[in-house]
Amino acid sequence: MLDFEVFVQQLITGLSNGMIIALIAIGYTMVYGIIELINFAHGDVFMLGAFLALTLLGLLGMESWGPWGQAGGVATMLAASALFCGGLNWSLDRLAYRSLRRSSKLALLVSAIGCSFICVNLGLFWGGLPMEVFGGGMAAAAPKDFPALIPQTNLLGDSFIRITPADLLVVAITVPLMVGLTVMVKRTRLGRAMRAVAQDGVAAALMGIPVDRVIGATFFIGGALGGFASVVYALYNNTIGFQMGTRAGLDAFTAAVLGGIGSLPGAVLGGLTIGCVRSMSDQYLETRWTNTIVFGILVLILIFRPSGLLGAARREKV
Amino acid sequence: MTMHRSLELSFVSLALALGAVAWAAPEGGTLKIVSSLPRTGSANAQTTTIVNGIKLAIDEVGGKVGEWTIQYQDMDDASPQRGNWDPAVEAQNANSASRDDEVVAYIGTFNSGAAKVAIPILNRAGLVMVSPANTYPGLTKPGQGEANEPMVYRPSGKINYFRVVPTDDLQGVQAANWAKDLGVKRVFVLHDRELYGKGIADVFKKQAEKVGIEVVGFEGIDTKAPNYRALVTKLKATTPDLVYFGGTTQSNAGQVAKDLRSGGYEGKYMVPDGCFEQAFIEAAGADNLNDNTFVTFGGLPPEKLTGRGAEFCSAYRTKYSADPEAYAAYGYECGRVVLQAIARATSKDRKGILEAISTTKDFDGVLGRWSFDANGDTSSQLMSGQTVHDGKFEFVKVLGQ
Amino acid sequence: MRWRPGPIVILLGLAALVPVLDLLLPAAFALSEAVRTVFLYAILALGLNVVTGYAGLLNLGIAAFMAVGAYAFGILTCEIYPFQFGFWSALALTLPIGAAAGVILGAPTLGLRGDYLAIVTMGFGEIVQDVLKNLDSITKGMQGINPLPAPALGGEQWTADDERKWFYLLFVLLALTVLAVRNLERSRLGRAWFSIREDELASRAMGIRAERAKLVAFATGAALAAFAGGLSASLLSSTGEPNNYDFQASILALCIVIVGGIGSIAGVLVGALVMVGLNSIVLVKATAWMAAQGIGSQGNVLLSPNNWKFLIFGLALVIAVRVKPDGLLPPRLEGTRR
Repeated sequence: MLDFEVFVQQLITGLSNGMIIALIAIGYTMVYGIIELINFAHGDVFMLGAFLALTLLGLLGMESWGPWGQAGGVATMLAASALFCGGLNWSLDRLAYRSLRRSSKLALLVSAIGCSFICVNLGLFWGGLPMEVFGGGMAAAAPKDFPALIPQTNLLGDSFIRITPADLLVVAITVPLMVGLTVMVKRTRLGRAMRAVAQDGVAAALMGIPVDRVIGATFFIGGALGGFASVVYALYNNTIGFQMGTRAGLDAFTAAVLGGIGSLPGAVLGGLTIGCVRSMSDQYLETRWTNTIVFGILVLILIFRPSGLLGAARREKV
Repeated sequence: MTMHRSLELSFVSLALALGAVAWAAPEGGTLKIVSSLPRTGSANAQTTTIVNGIKLAIDEVGGKVGEWTIQYQDMDDASPQRGNWDPAVEAQNANSASRDDEVVAYIGTFNSGAAKVAIPILNRAGLVMVSPANTYPGLTKPGQGEANEPMVYRPSGKINYFRVVPTDDLQGVQAANWAKDLGVKRVFVLHDRELYGKGIADVFKKQAEKVGIEVVGFEGIDTKAPNYRALVTKLKATTPDLVYFGGTTQSNAGQVAKDLRSGGYEGKYMVPDGCFEQAFIEAAGADNLNDNTFVTFGGLPPEKLTGRGAEFCSAYRTKYSADPEAYAAYGYECGRVVLQAIARATSKDRKGILEAISTTKDFDGVLGRWSFDANGDTSSQLMSGQTVHDGKFEFVKVLGQ
Repeated sequence: MRWRPGPIVILLGLAALVPVLDLLLPAAFALSEAVRTVFLYAILALGLNVVTGYAGLLNLGIAAFMAVGAYAFGILTCEIYPFQFGFWSALALTLPIGAAAGVILGAPTLGLRGDYLAIVTMGFGEIVQDVLKNLDSITKGMQGINPLPAPALGGEQWTADDERKWFYLLFVLLALTVLAVRNLERSRLGRAWFSIREDELASRAMGIRAERAKLVAFATGAALAAFAGGLSASLLSSTGEPNNYDFQASILALCIVIVGGIGSIAGVLVGALVMVGLNSIVLVKATAWMAAQGIGSQGNVLLSPNNWKFLIFGLALVIAVRVKPDGLLPPRLEGTRR
C-alpha cells in the first residue's frame, strides 16, 4: 500500500516541479519561435524576478500581515515581478539583441550568454543589499531564505501523501497562465502577428506588421512569464540565490526542446515530463543518476522524434 | 685565456663581496603572505570570513614582525567563467607565489581539489602552505586516500603542507559517535558529491555501521536542484530518525533542511562544519532547524573560547561588526601560525619559516592548544557539537568526552 | 611576389615571444604561464571551430570531449592504474579515443537539425559529468586522477618547473594543430563541410555524402578537444574535478570561436587570447593588483573588485559581438564567409 502512496506522492512532486519548469520553458520557446535565439539570459532574468519579490516582501513587511493581506502580498509580488522581468527581457532585446538581427544566430547567442553573466552579477549585488531579508547583506553570495507565505502544511492531515497549499498555488497560477497564453497566441491580433513573424519575418514586415515591436512584445511576454514563475518558484522552494537561474534555465531549455521548440503545448508537456522523470528517477533509481536519466531520455526521444514531442517536422531555413 | 680567467675570478670575488654585504646587512625588509581562495562566486561568503581572519591576525601585530614588514595579498583562485575555483588559476597563483622571492607563506586553499594542484608546485619551491579549510585526509595522511598519497604531493621529499583543520576521517567518526549518543537507530546519509561532502559522509557511514546504527540509505544529491522533495519522499519511506548531510551551505544544506521539514520528516538532522555559519541558518530558515539540528565543528565555538580565543572574538566583532564564524577562526589561526613562525624563524626566508612552522608545538590558538604532527596535521582532536536554538547555534558538548 | 605573413603567422610569432617579454616584466606579472592556458583553449576552440564553424553544427558540449581526453590520459598514465603508458603514447591515444567518443555521440544524433543537436550535445556534457563523478571506483570521482606524467624528451624527464619547455611544447603543438586544421579547411573534405553548412540539401544533390562529412567533422572536433584535455591534465599533473569540464567550459570555447570569428583560424587564435586572457589573466591580475594596493573592501558587496568579474566578462561578450558581429578576425575567403 505504501508503495502506491509513494508513487502518487512522487507524481504530485513531479507535476508541481514540472509546472514551474514549464512556465519558464514557455518564455524560452516563445522567443525561440520568433527569432530562433536560445535566450540564455532567460533563466537569469527569472532569478532577478525572485530577488525583486523578496525585496518587496522585506520592504513591505509582508511576513507580519494577516492571511488575506498575505494573499494580496503574493498578488503584488506576482504583478511586480512579471512587469519587472518582462521589462528587463524587453530591454535586453532592445539593447543587446536588436542590433544583431541581421547577424549570425551565433553572435546573438553569445550576446545572450553575455547578458546572462551580467544578470548573474546583478543578482550577486542585489543579494548584498543591507536588508533583513538578505541576511543583512553580509554574505551576498549565500542562498537567501524566502519566507513561506504559503504554508507547506499537509491539507490531507496525517496521510503519507501530502498536498500542500504551495502545491495548489503552483497549479492555480500556472494553469490559467498557460491557458491564457495559448488563447492569446491563437486568437488575438498580437498573437497572429507573432505567429506571422515566426513564420517569415520579411514577409510579415511586407504585410505591414511592425516586426521589431512584435518581437519586443514577445520578449516582454516571455519575460513576464519568467517573472510569474520566479514568484511561484520562490514560494514553492523557499530559497533563492543568484546562481539559481542557470539550472532553472537549463531545465526549461531542455523542456522546451523535448516538447518541440517553438511549441507552447510542447513546452508544457516537456516541463511536466522532466519534472516527473526527475522525481521518479530520484525514487526508483539513485538521485546521483537523475541528470543522466533526464538527458538520456531526451536523446532517445529526439532520435525517434527529431522535432521533439509536439514539434512540427520542418526543414531548417536555409 | 688568462684574461678570461681573471675576469671570472673578479666576478667570483665581487659576488662574494656582495654576499657578505647582504649577509651582514641589518635585518628587515618585506615578507609577503599570500592567500589563494575562491573569491568569485558562491564560496565568496565563506572565503571573505577567512580573509577577514587572516587580516585580523596581521593587524594585531601591526603588520610587522620585528624589523620585517608583513605584506598580505588576497588572491582569487576562481574565475568568472567557472564561478568556482579554477585549476588553471590555482596553478597560476601557486606558480606566481613561487616565483616571487618575497613570498614566504601561502595560505590556502579552500577546496581540497585545488590543494592537489597547488601543493606539489609549492613543494618544489620550498614554500610553506597552510590551509584553513582542506579536510580531505589523503592530502596528508598515508593510507587514508589513494595508495600514492600523500607522497605525490611531496616531489621534493619534504613536507611543506600543513592544515589547522581536523580532517574528515576525524570529524565523520565523531559525528557518528555523537549520533549514537543521541540515541539514533536508523540514519539516512546524504552527501553533495563533492570531495569534502562525500568524504565525510563515507566516514560517517562506516563509523555509524560500526557503532550499530543502521544506515537505511546513502545518496549523493544534485547540488543545483531547486528542491529535494522527491528525495525526501523516498527517504521518509525508510523511516530514519536521523538524516546526515555531508555538505556545506553552498551545496544546499539549507534547502535539504527545508524540504525535510516541508516534506513532513520530523527526525533529527546533522551536518558537518561546512554548515557551521549563520548563513546556513538563514538559508534554511531558523524554524526548520530549531532544536533538532546538530552541527559538528573542529574546535570550540567562539563563545566558549577563553583566553586567546575570547580576545579573538571581541577583536573580530570590533573590526568587522559581525560574529566570527568557523571559517573566520580557521583563517585567523592560519594567519597567526604563520606570523608566529616568522617570528621564531632563525632565518627569515622560505626555508627558515617552513622549518619554524613544521616545529609548531603547543600553539596557543583559538582552536585549542595544538601542534603540527609529522604529517602536517593539527594534533588537535578537539571537536564540538552544536545545536540550533532560536535561530542561533548553541554549544552542546565537546565530542568524544 | 613577396611573401607577406598572414595574421596566423603574426599571431603565432608574437606568442612565441612571450617568454622573452617575461624576462622584462616583474615576476608577479609574468605572462607565459597564463598564455599556456590560452594555447590549450585555442586547441580546444580550433576543434569546436571545425564542428561549428566549418560544418555548421552547434556543439554545446565540447568540454565533455576534453574530459574524455583528460581522463583517458589519466587512466592510461597514472601509476595507480595498470596501463602506465608514457606521456607521448598516451597523448597520441587521446586523439583516436576522442574521435571514437565523437562518433558514439554523433552517429545516432547528427540527423537532428540545428538547435536540437545543440541540446543533445549539452546533455552529453551533463551525462559525462555524472559518469565521471559516479563511477568513482574507476575515475576516482571528485578526487581527480593524479599525479600525471610530464613529457620526457631525449631521456630527460620534465617537471612542471620546466616552464619554458612546457611553453614551447604547447606552442609547437598548437602550431601543428593550426597547420592540420588549415589543411583540412582547404581539402575536399573542408569544401564539403562549407557546402553542407551553407545548404545541406543542395550539397546532397551535388553528391556530397553529408552524413559522413558531418560525422567526420564531429569526430575531428572531439579528437582535438580530447587532445587539449590530455595536455591540460598533464600540465596540471591532475585530471582535476569532473566539474572542470562542465557546461561553462563549453560555453567559454563557444565564446572564443564566435568572438574571434567563426570559421577563421586566425579568429579563433585571437578569440582564445581575448577571452581566456580576460578570464584568467586580466581579471585575475587586475584584482590581485587592486587587492595589493588596498583598493576595495570586503564589507560592501559593491566595493570588492572580485564581485565585478561576472559583469565585466558578460559586458565584454555583449560589446564584442555588438561591435564585431562576425568576430574580431572573420574569415577572409569568400567560400568560408557566413
